[in-house]
This record gives sequence, C-alpha cells and structure tokens, in this order.
Amino acid sequence: MIEEPYRWVEAIANRREYIEHQLAGGSPIAALSYRDGILLFTLGRERQKLFEIYDRIGMGAIGHPGDIERLRMAAIEIASTEGFARSAHDVSLRRLANYSLSPALKAAFEQIYGAPYLTRMLLAELGRGGPNLFLRLDYDGAIHTNGGVFGRAFEEFGVISGSQASAAKMELFLRGKNFARASLEDVAAIACDAWTIGHLALADGEGEDLPSAGDIAKHRSAQLAAASIEAAVLDRSSALPITWRPLPESWLRPLLEASD
Amino acid sequence: MDPAHSGAALPPPDAGDFAAILRRQGCYPQIPQMSPAGASLPSHASGGVTQTHGTTILAFKYADGVLVAGDRRATAGNLVVYDRADKVLEIDADSLMAIAGVPATAWEMARVLEHSFQFYRRSQLQEMSLEGKVRALSKLLRDNLGLVLQGVGVVVPLFATYDRQAGVARLYFYDAMGAQFEAADYAATGSGSGAIRSILHYENTWGKKVLAKRKESEAVILALRALDTAAESDTATGGVDRRGRVYPIVKLITQAGIRTLAEKDLARIFNKEVR
Repeated sequence: MIEEPYRWVEAIANRREYIEHQLAGGSPIAALSYRDGILLFTLGRERQKLFEIYDRIGMGAIGHPGDIERLRMAAIEIASTEGFARSAHDVSLRRLANYSLSPALKAAFEQIYGAPYLTRMLLAELGRGGPNLFLRLDYDGAIHTNGGVFGRAFEEFGVISGSQASAAKMELFLRGKNFARASLEDVAAIACDAWTIGHLALADGEGEDLPSAGDIAKHRSAQLAAASIEAAVLDRSSALPITWRPLPESWLRPLLEASD
Repeated sequence: MDPAHSGAALPPPDAGDFAAILRRQGCYPQIPQMSPAGASLPSHASGGVTQTHGTTILAFKYADGVLVAGDRRATAGNLVVYDRADKVLEIDADSLMAIAGVPATAWEMARVLEHSFQFYRRSQLQEMSLEGKVRALSKLLRDNLGLVLQGVGVVVPLFATYDRQAGVARLYFYDAMGAQFEAADYAATGSGSGAIRSILHYENTWGKKVLAKRKESEAVILALRALDTAAESDTATGGVDRRGRVYPIVKLITQAGIRTLAEKDLARIFNKEVR
C-alpha cells in the first residue's frame, strides 16, 4: 500500500484527518501567567486533565486517556530521573519537549503501521527569574511556543483546544488582555472567559470575530452550571521547591459565579 | 521511549516506585555491591577504607509534635572531616530523616526517598501513605545490606513525620537491616546515643514533666543540653563550636509542617540556658 511515496503522503494525510476528528471534541485548556506564577484552567465533565510533571512544570492534555497517560508517565520519569541524577535546576521543559517527547510523537505518527498518540498537550514551565514558557505539543511532534524568539512577540499564555479555529479564537482574545501582573482571582476570570470562547468556537467555528460579551457571559454561566472546574497553579511564592498546587473548586466556583 | 506502544503492554507491577526505575537505569545504588563470588571491596576490618561517619541524632515528642536534632560533626576514624554537616534532612513538607552513619550512603538515601515520594504523588495522583513512606526507607536500608556486611556504608536513620489522618506527629527508628520501630517517646542513634538515651529516659521518667508535655522552649533547651552532654564523652559528636558559632540543627514537626530553628535563636537559647 505504501510502496510509492504518494501513498505514504496520502496515508499520513488520512491519519492526520482521523486524529483531528478524534480530538475535535476536546475541551479547551488555558494556561496564563499571573503575578505569582502560572494558572492552568479548564472545565470538564469526566476525568482529570491537568497534571503535575515536576517542581516547576505542569501539563494539560486532551485526547485519548491511555495515550495521555503514557506520555505523562514518560515525562514524569524523564524529569524525575534528571532531577535525581543531576539537580532540579537541570530539569527543563525545553529539553523535555524537544529531545524526548517531540521525537517520540513524530516517530509514532509517521510509522503508519503502528498506532499514533491521540493527544494534544499543553506544557507550562515557571521561569526561574526569566520568563515563563508555554508549549503546545501536537500528536505529530510539532511544537508551538509562546514566542519571544525569532521575531515573534512574546506571549504570557498558552492554549490548546479540539480544533485550530477554537484555539485561534482563544489566542485572539488573550492577546487583547493584560494579565501578567494580575491577581489569581482576576486571572481566573480571564481564563474562564478564554475557555468559554474556545468552547463556543468548537460548536460554531465559523467567523473571525469574537463573540459578544453578552454571549460569553451567557455561555459561561450555562457551562459553569453543567461542568466541574479544574484548575491548578505553579506558584512562585511556594515555600517549597514544589510549586504545583491544585485549586479547590470550592474556592474557585463562588469566585467565578460572582464575576458573571 | 516506548517500543511497546502498539502492543498492549501493561505498566510494570512496580509502577510508582522511583527506586525501581533508578535501579533499572543503573543509577542506584551507585556503589557496586558485593559479587556473589566474594568481597569485591576491601572490608573495613582490613583497614582498606577509612569511612566518614556522622554521629548522634536525637528526636522526641513534645507538646506540639516532634523535635529532631543533630550535631554537626562528621568524622573518619580519629579525624574530624567536617564540622558543619547537616544530618537532619527534609524529605517532604511533613517528613524529616535524620542520619547517623556514613553520609555518602545516607545523603543518597535521602535523595532517593525525597524523589520517591514526589514521583509517587505525581505519577499515581495520590499522596503516598504514611506507612508507605516508612516502609520506603526500610527498603532502602535493606538494599544497602550487602555493603553493610562488607563494612562499608552503614546508616542508622530516624524518620519523623506528621500523620495528617490521626493529627499526630510520629517518630520511627530503624536498625541497619531495615527493621522499623515506632518510638513512643524518644529515639536516638549514633555513637553518642547512649548518653542521649540515658538523659531522655531520666527526664521522661523523673524530670519535672514528661517529654510529651514540654513546651517548645523547654524541648529545645533539653535537646541542646543532651547533645552537649553526648559531646562531653564522645569525640565523634561535635559540641557547640563557640568560636565558629556552629550550633546543632534543630527542626520541629508540628501540624503547621516543618520549622527549622534559626541560628540566632539557637545562639540566644544556648548562651542563656546551656553554657
């Protein structure tokens, strides 16, 4: 079937289409810098989607739980072994993504007799003195960063969603906001709005424009009522080297419902 | 990374066990173990290796939790190697490991332990149970047994942690083979521990108050006096270096987590109550 190059390209294209279709229902995830660190935020109905990888690295993922789990385990194992053998300071998201995860994803994606990873990941790393790093890592191994290099403007956020159109709208919305010095309460409200915009775009991806403030508020309160809130921070002010802290829904929900 | 990706490989039965991963990768233990054919390392008795030892740590329960203290001296034979050694190590937000014995193995064990607890929480998405943590140290000690039998790298630790379920601080001590014992009131190990145990037994039985009823300030004074007494007769235990202002390490585990006593507070208490 794939003896000819053309067939291989076709097979890859089919596979891409198949995976995009599988991911299309994925609920958006947003990660935003704020005054004391990074907030990771999503709404969900079923399983956990935000995970701690290492002292200063967090992950959000959509896709097949089995594949997410395998990649999550690999990431934790690589980071922990490095942190043990050298030091926690030597664990970096850039190396983890570029040298370990991305090649594995690409290899699985292009070996068309094997199963690809049905997953899209958002990784965030709390900077040590420097800027925060946000990475989107796709099923084909492609890495999209939050810029700051090669002439691309630096952004204080990263998002993933089930479709490109949805993620693009979330990015458009977040580019218009200023939150890097905001409080956790304020950034949580912005993250919730970004999620809402992404979620609306999943159902109705047409059009370039952002929904009106009224539409956002309406959809947001409907979704808040139907889903559970999942959020965690990488908190720079933590007394321990471990910065990951899940935010309890009991704290977040009244806050977000009040800001409706 | 994952050769079995397309297959239906289940996770290995040691999932969540960081030490097992390190062993698989050859990262731990880093010191070669004895080969079955016979000793591959010179034994201590033959005088081949003069090992560095750390000595005398104590821990007891007081009114708010557990106090853990250690002197600062590391020795090799008659030689003082280091007078600022830290033998009371923080493993996680609630747990301390205090070591007497060979620092090379003990610090490595502490690192493995620290990473094991974090790895378990991250990978299994739940905190390791208190029993699991206590057993984890026991397993590391057993791993080390081969070396101990060759006379190298013996470690006898204490482990103290806050039991969030029961709302009490707990204290454990171990032997070199990895047996674990929960201490009711106090524990001490290291070359100066004989003196320390005598003092703590005396204070707990005939002192003004039982140890468990003493306030923090009283507990700290007792710990400093006990270590000073141990240093009186045991050369391997460092007393207080008055000129260099090196004081013992004193850490407290309470409901609020771990707190380390600042050097200036120790100096003040020492000058007023111990000297």
